[in-house]
Amino acid sequence: MAGRLLPLELVDRCIGSRIWVIMKGDKEVVGTLRGFDEYVNMVLDDVTEYTVTAAGREKNQLDQILLNGNNVCIMVPGGDPEASSSSSSSSS
Amino acid sequence: MSEQATETKKTTTTTTTGKAKYQPSDFLKAVLGRPVIVKLNSGVSYRGILACLDGYMNIAMEQTEEYDDGQLKAKYGDCFIRGNNVHYISTIKRR
Repeated sequence: MAGRLLPLELVDRCIGSRIWVIMKGDKEVVGTLRGFDEYVNMVLDDVTEYTVTAAGREKNQLDQILLNGNNVCIMVPGGDPEASSSSSSSSS
Repeated sequence: MSEQATETKKTTTTTTTGKAKYQPSDFLKAVLGRPVIVKLNSGVSYRGILACLDGYMNIAMEQTEEYDDGQLKAKYGDCFIRGNNVHYISTIKRR
């Protein structure tokens, strides 16, 4: 019982580390998590934004962002889409 | 820029793990009146001065430039963006 970790506690533990956020649709965001609120809106630093298109992944670099939590689907602590894409090694 | 850094230090709280936490509300306070890029879910982005915003992420901007696919499409003196369309609000690095 004592060992149970609530989902938002897991997110809280990720503060200060890199996190990979997969949005609903074709967008992904990777950055250093600075903070979040009850909607999981997130403040991220040193951000790379990816947009998945038919041609491949479009990249965009940003300094600091407030990401809207409304379309967040999956969050992967320490994740990196470039390291775990289907074409390269899939172990993570 | 250094002025903004001291401002953020004042408003940071700490988490249970003892790390400094910089919450969305702190970010919003810090970017008010500063140049930002607001990207919508449609992919269109708006670059301008953040005049005002609320908890829904409704945004009022000044000197707004509309970019679609990296191309400047339009300019607006003032504009209002309804919060449900916002993907992110980004700071602009000083050059």
